[in-house]
Amino acid sequence: MVIIAVPSNGNGGLNEQMNPRFGRCPSFTFVTVENNEIKEVKAVPNPAADAMGGAGIQAAQIVGNNSANEVIVGSLGPNAAQSLSSLNLKIYQAPNQPISVKEVINLYLENKLQLITSANVSSHYGMGRGGGMGGGRGMGGGRGMGRQNRSQF
Amino acid sequence: MAKIICITGGKGGTGKTLVAVNLATLFKNHGFNVLLVDGDVENPNTYLLMNGKLENSSEVSFFEPKIDEAKCTKCGLCAENCISHALLYIKDAIPIPILNVCSGCKLCYKICPTEAIIADSRVIGLIYSTRVNNIDLLIGELKPSEARSAVIVKVLMEKIDILLNDKHEKYDVIIFDTAPGAHCDVEELIQRADYVVPVTEPTRFGRLDLLRIIELIDLLKKEYRVIVNRSSLLGFRDQFLNELNDNNIQVLGDIPLDEDIVKSYCIGVPLMDNHNRFDTQGKGYKSFQIIYENLTKWSGIKT
Repeated sequence: MVIIAVPSNGNGGLNEQMNPRFGRCPSFTFVTVENNEIKEVKAVPNPAADAMGGAGIQAAQIVGNNSANEVIVGSLGPNAAQSLSSLNLKIYQAPNQPISVKEVINLYLENKLQLITSANVSSHYGMGRGGGMGGGRGMGGGRGMGRQNRSQF
Repeated sequence: MAKIICITGGKGGTGKTLVAVNLATLFKNHGFNVLLVDGDVENPNTYLLMNGKLENSSEVSFFEPKIDEAKCTKCGLCAENCISHALLYIKDAIPIPILNVCSGCKLCYKICPTEAIIADSRVIGLIYSTRVNNIDLLIGELKPSEARSAVIVKVLMEKIDILLNDKHEKYDVIIFDTAPGAHCDVEELIQRADYVVPVTEPTRFGRLDLLRIIELIDLLKKEYRVIVNRSSLLGFRDQFLNELNDNNIQVLGDIPLDEDIVKSYCIGVPLMDNHNRFDTQGKGYKSFQIIYENLTKWSGIKT
């Protein structure tokens, strides 16, 4: 059994859009997967969404406190990346396009997401940006994102 | 008591350090005891323009929380109260310090009920104190990749406070050389000054950044007078000076483009150093003399 955290819009849930920002997403959707099947879905609001600073660390705390083992991210700042790595969480890169939580989980189940190990944007990148997908300009940045994976989308 | 003159300017490369070094030299030439403080801690280079060396260093340390895992009860009190969110706490786990967001306030260290937080530290910069050509120099230097420049400036200011509170304080004039910009490091230095001298140039960049730094100086309710460097640049001098005049911005003087200034900059000897190296009838030399006269009149610093 594995619990995957996905930054999501609104109140979260499988049908909600994924949010490209990790620290400042409105909610997290936690998806429990067992035998390659979705077993349970739980959505939690992210109180760090409007934090002055340290949003990435607080968000990592929420992810950790909900016992997630893995995270799927759009853009990931340096403090969040450091926090997630120190919690030994696996970090997957979502494609740079609007996508629902369900769709991104399906990609995960199909083994089509790339693991990343470091931040892909700078500090405060997600501050004051709109909530829509496509805000993830510069995502991936060539840091370990597989090209063939992207072309499949 | 020493008068503090703060050389600043908003824009980078306008000649703040050039002005600071030459004014310090002029005050020294007139028999004053001068302390020059380099507060541009990310790029301290006043000493280079004076042919000096970085000497007599003392370390500036910054607090780092370290968790004594044997003592930690995993209560999470430290993380809950950390304003910077520099402690990552997952229930029933030992908190993990995220050092690059730690503000160094030591609250975690003070409130831990089991004294499980050890006050470790790392060196983030150095303070140098040296004397070049009868001018005392106090220099702050932040180590590359460190973010907390304000800590170095604060230590510099503590040293100034100690100096000013000493009955036997010997300085007549203290000159601050600030970093470019209108950020908190610059603010801290302006805050301590009696007189503020923004150095600008007759360009659109120069004007914009000058207005920005003046906004900061006004906020801090300080007196200021402007120096226009490279004033002969492409013939914009009169137009620029008129604009300043129209905006009620008082000017201490202007420094035209001058070969001797360039030469002094290249060899690292202040133009106003009285070793007869430069043409005392030159445009640059004369402009500094006028600026010095206006500055002493304005500030009331007398021999």
